[in-house]
Amino acid sequence: MESIFSFCFAILITPLLPALIKKVKACYAGQQGPPLLINYYTMAKLFKKGSVYSTSTTFVFRMGPVVGCATSLMMLLFFPMAGIAPLFSFHGDVLILFYLMGLGRFFTILAALDTASPFEGMGAAREAFFSTLAEATVFGILVLFFRITGSLSFAEFFSGSHPISLTGEHGALLILVIVALYIVMLTENSRVPVDDPATHLELTMIHEVMILDHSGPDLALIELGAWFKLLFYAGFLARIIDPFQLQNVWLNGLLFYAVVTFIYITIGTVESITARYKMNMVPKFILTPFILVFFATILTMELIK
Amino acid sequence: MDTMFVSLAVILAGGVAALLLCRQFTLMKLVTIATTTAGCGVGLFYSLSNLLSHAAPIEMSWSWLHLFSLAFKVDSISLFFLVPIFTITPMALLYSFHYMGDKAKATRTAINYFFFTILVASMALVVTAANIITFALAWEIMSLSSFFLVIFDYQVKANRQAGYIYFIFAQGGAMFLFAAFALLYQHTGSFDFSTFSTIPENVKLLVFILAFLCFGSKAGIFPLHLAKIQSGPAAPSHIAAIMSAVMSKMGIYAIFRMYLLLDATTPFIGQIVLVTGIGTGVLGVVYALAKQDLKVLLAYSSVENIGIILIGLGIGMVGVSEQSQAMAFFGFAGAFMHVFNHSIFKSLLFMGAGAVSRKAKTTNIDQLGGLMKRMPITGRTFLAGSVAISGLPPFSGFIGEFLIYYGAFYGISNHRLPFILAILAIVSLAVIGGLAAACFTKVVGLGFLGEPRTENAAKATETGSSMTLIMVVLAIASLVIGILPEPFIRLAFAGINDVPYTVGFDTLAFMGIVRQVSQTVAIFIGLLLLITLLRKILYLKKEIGSGGTWGCGFTQPTVRMQYTGTSYAAEMIDFYRPFVPVKKIYTGISKIFPGKTTWETEVEDVAELNYQLRLIQPLLKFLNKLRWIQHGKIQLYIAYIVLAIIVLLLLL
Repeated sequence: MESIFSFCFAILITPLLPALIKKVKACYAGQQGPPLLINYYTMAKLFKKGSVYSTSTTFVFRMGPVVGCATSLMMLLFFPMAGIAPLFSFHGDVLILFYLMGLGRFFTILAALDTASPFEGMGAAREAFFSTLAEATVFGILVLFFRITGSLSFAEFFSGSHPISLTGEHGALLILVIVALYIVMLTENSRVPVDDPATHLELTMIHEVMILDHSGPDLALIELGAWFKLLFYAGFLARIIDPFQLQNVWLNGLLFYAVVTFIYITIGTVESITARYKMNMVPKFILTPFILVFFATILTMELIK
Repeated sequence: MDTMFVSLAVILAGGVAALLLCRQFTLMKLVTIATTTAGCGVGLFYSLSNLLSHAAPIEMSWSWLHLFSLAFKVDSISLFFLVPIFTITPMALLYSFHYMGDKAKATRTAINYFFFTILVASMALVVTAANIITFALAWEIMSLSSFFLVIFDYQVKANRQAGYIYFIFAQGGAMFLFAAFALLYQHTGSFDFSTFSTIPENVKLLVFILAFLCFGSKAGIFPLHLAKIQSGPAAPSHIAAIMSAVMSKMGIYAIFRMYLLLDATTPFIGQIVLVTGIGTGVLGVVYALAKQDLKVLLAYSSVENIGIILIGLGIGMVGVSEQSQAMAFFGFAGAFMHVFNHSIFKSLLFMGAGAVSRKAKTTNIDQLGGLMKRMPITGRTFLAGSVAISGLPPFSGFIGEFLIYYGAFYGISNHRLPFILAILAIVSLAVIGGLAAACFTKVVGLGFLGEPRTENAAKATETGSSMTLIMVVLAIASLVIGILPEPFIRLAFAGINDVPYTVGFDTLAFMGIVRQVSQTVAIFIGLLLLITLLRKILYLKKEIGSGGTWGCGFTQPTVRMQYTGTSYAAEMIDFYRPFVPVKKIYTGISKIFPGKTTWETEVEDVAELNYQLRLIQPLLKFLNKLRWIQHGKIQLYIAYIVLAIIVLLLLL
């Protein structure tokens, strides 16, 4: 019951949090910014619309948003938000989930290439490239977490006999992981400094250019998928950062979502104070977290006997 | 065992029938396909029933030429490798019904079928051979018959050259094999496989490395993969499918069999296999990404998958030397699972490439496009195969990788080297998966989606029914294995039943996890359907417009502006530059009023380059100096032979 409630709450709150990023960015720019409920309005507007499809496209173009949204939702189904057990969980679920995320990316890329647009092809190529680099880091983190907890499931990472916790015996290593995961989050969710969703030029975009031709409910599904994904990564980070496991479910949840909010605010801050890297700098940026995680894993050889 | 020989006899009868009936083109195809399929059916029934009933190993032998004996032994490993042989063969043959449609080449087609059946029979003999003579005989027949299959279109110079390179690699590999067997014979004095484990420990490593070079070149490990890369595109597609999907697995079988027979305690063997697997996997997929010819790309992707299988075997072997039964079990089982899965989706992809080459007259991705609309069934099945080979759920490729991951995670122990190796295996599997997805989004996205880039691609139509039917069957098989993996995982587990190191491993807990995986896939598909339904509802009574693709303000787009495979892969290739050299040919601008200039890039194989530079050229230089020995005078040649015999008699 608790799990269902937690899942529904996460879904409902999803559109709210990215608006926070917009608000923060507006604050830094000295503007008022959009209302916090902007994304709910956008959703309602998009759902009401019809669509225009390019004559070049096939069924794959229509499948892209559906698969993308479904794979992101799967992450939320299996992730223990706010310390509450997820709806589903088993030993080994992280493997299938990250691969499902790969499936979502596979179809997003195909949908982009289906339009025969050179811009979308460019975005697709970059997305494919950067995600392979980020994937290495993600699996590096899984290796480290398996080393600490002996488990391969999101739920067991944080609840088993050796849970992942900043105050635990491996807290120091987790600092490296937090930095690494933060960079992976920026990469996978197409945020500055890897990608700039707000740029004025299609040539310099990655994710945003891939969805140029989508409109109406299709676009809404893509946006929802992207927000779910961001919430999953923020939630994953928050569970690592938040060291408290309180008895009170409500207080625990409040604390968790406070950390999540904080992470969203930092994303907004990063976007406000840094510019997007030149494309040839991005691979170096994405490889940095891999080195961090690899180093942390090597350290465990002596720390964990 | 007799049942298997009966099935092989029926299969060979199909080949002979093809020769006899070569004047009646259609009848010949029908008779051959029907007979061979029946033979394969018997063989499949034999191997599956014995595999699932965990039958005890059966041995059989009879003397040959009064001097040697031909010995066969069928254990669970042999049985498991028989399954893809007997499953994929009928598929490839049925596909060939429409694919081999050129009546003018009737005789040649008949000969092709004849060698095809010989290849199938010899592969079955390879996996059941139980002594040196039998194995070497079957291995050589396999190499030779496949050589004749490769040069089917021998008028094309490139194909002859490919066949030549294939032949050199096959025979060069065989030399290493004979060296290994000679070493073994020297120490055991027996041809029998079962005596291998008695040789000294330090010889075992040498024998394994020699055999690994031979079997590796058949399987396609980097840098011995050139034969595979050359033969894949040259051969007809159903032959390429069999060679890539089944025959290269004979290399894997032989490596594994040699490992088991030697029963070495040294950890080096496992480490060699694992590291080779990692290198082969990563480089294979990077080259697959770099190549624009569909068939070459698929050949490199086979190299990648051989890498994944070797990672699995390597994990298993390291697990054995680390005495971690879970690691050994899941490593071997994952490798077996991937052998089976890969044989299905790789033949599907090669068949799709064959359909494309027949209809669009080219397999170069940069000249294709828009095929999904023109060849709907080929396109959809190719998409399914692409998802499967990228290792993504809900298709079958994921299952094998899941098992290998599982084994690798269990390998994360405290011992330094195995620890590093396990991490490397996990991370490289992830990277291979990501790059494979990039590679196959390129193929599907640029080859099948978008707008056609050439006249021929625009005029392509769907292929013959026998071809599409088989592709649909294979695509559905990939999906079913992905959704309901349990019986197939049981099959892989049954395959390693006779591996001594993993006997008695309890799989009950893991079967629960497998059910959970299949449940997760079901949840995902449910969610997918739910969102599709939601989308349908949202689009009810809505205005759906259509128009050109948004060109960012540019009003005169042409199909040539589309992204190409070369540009799609360029950044990623650049990242792996030292291992993937790119040759750029630019004629430049010389005059004040520039004339026509050209710009060309080509990705060169680093292994091929080095062979050229460090092996072939010095060798040619040296051999040119010995030209005087060859002068065309027969009497002197006979003198050489006499001299050689005398010297040998004196020395030995």
